[in-house]
Amino acid sequence: MPGFGAASRRRFVLGGVAVAALALAGCAVQTPRLLAAPPQGLPRRVELSATPFFPQEEYQCGPAALATALSAVGLPTRPEALTGKVFLPGREGSLQIEMLAGARRSGAVATVIPGTLEAVMRETAAGNPVVVLQNLGLSWAPSWHYAVVIGYDLDAGVFLLRSGPIERQELPLSTFEHTWDRAQRWAFVALPPDRLPETAAEAETTRALVAFERTALPRQAAQAYTAGLARWPGSLTLAMGLGNASYAAGDLEGARRAFAAAAQRHDAAAAYNNLATVLLELGRRAEARAAAVKAVGRAGTEGAIADSARATLRRIDDAAPPAPRRQRRRPTAAAPPASP
Amino acid sequence: MKKFKRLLSALLIVSFSGVSMVQSVQAAMVSTEQVAQAAAVQQAGDSHERLNDMLARTEVQAELQRYGLTEDQARERIAALTDEEAAVLVKQVDDAPAGGIIGAILLVFFVLLLTDILGLTKVFPFTRSIR
Repeated sequence: MPGFGAASRRRFVLGGVAVAALALAGCAVQTPRLLAAPPQGLPRRVELSATPFFPQEEYQCGPAALATALSAVGLPTRPEALTGKVFLPGREGSLQIEMLAGARRSGAVATVIPGTLEAVMRETAAGNPVVVLQNLGLSWAPSWHYAVVIGYDLDAGVFLLRSGPIERQELPLSTFEHTWDRAQRWAFVALPPDRLPETAAEAETTRALVAFERTALPRQAAQAYTAGLARWPGSLTLAMGLGNASYAAGDLEGARRAFAAAAQRHDAAAAYNNLATVLLELGRRAEARAAAVKAVGRAGTEGAIADSARATLRRIDDAAPPAPRRQRRRPTAAAPPASP
Repeated sequence: MKKFKRLLSALLIVSFSGVSMVQSVQAAMVSTEQVAQAAAVQQAGDSHERLNDMLARTEVQAELQRYGLTEDQARERIAALTDEEAAVLVKQVDDAPAGGIIGAILLVFFVLLLTDILGLTKVFPFTRSIR
């Protein structure tokens, strides 16, 4: 797991990397291509020099790396505050999944980015430090380490990192690629809710935002979904997320608008169902009932969404003012849904 | 205190087994995670609840202590997992050989996750980026 005793660390790492480089010479496939033909629109040199530095306590590269990344994007955090969230004392290290969860619990959206050197460079060029997992040892004698990439220099052929006890590490591109490749090229960026990663794909971003909603303040979750929707306006999940987060934040009108837009665009049962609930709470019963009927009609007969849709329709009918004639013809739960 | 916890978890189990009843009364909103997973395979039961239930076992707690974790910390960590992540963990427990369930929980939660990260196994898809 990540981290070593600080004293022996550097020598060991140098030794390990040297052996690894010999053993795996020629395996750095991305570096030569990248240097031969640098991707368009990428600056020759980037250094996020304002990124703070937290010298790593023994074994605690996880909390240190996460605190570095969070503090750099305006979420001031001390490594000590993260230890209880991401550090596993018995294993003297931090799990990847908990690094992501720890970032979320600190108010950041943590998104895994593509495993390419170019993606890491593009993130830093956009001002986003990248937390990377490295295997500084060998595949059969691993020594795991979290570090933060804060830039690169294409002319010098190096990445710049805040890494363990080293404040400014210059690591040759190919060395970085080797150590990163042996950790399955895993990297993520942690950003405030109003900022999206430069390179992350829709699926990863959606996963990150849905996970963020779970623990975030509703208002921040809504902010994050708004940013996501601006980039991927065709996503039903993001549209529903915006509605749900707005609703949780008490913004009924915002929720209504989001669900109405989602319902119109995707004609989805979940959107109609939630729209109906919000309309009912806004006192617009007739519209609420029309939406609920559509939800039931599109939800099919089985599954949680169909159950919710039927429950919503029942609730709206139950909330009806005493009507002159009996309206509810099918009060039993077993009855099939009324056709729209 | 322990008795109280047992009682509480028993109550929770009862209340969660009556999910459809609860839903017909108040669960009117469809959550984002539900939408995100609409296409995904439905896992039996609530994964978070099941992971939390596992934590209530004394053998599990003793093992947690050995790893330097308190029960509260473990619960917080479970709460921070998404439904999708928790479902993967629960599935691993379900797939474990019978009789070794307690060990399997820990094996799953710590060791497999760890060996995955160490690259020795490839159990969890979410321990690396998905392309």
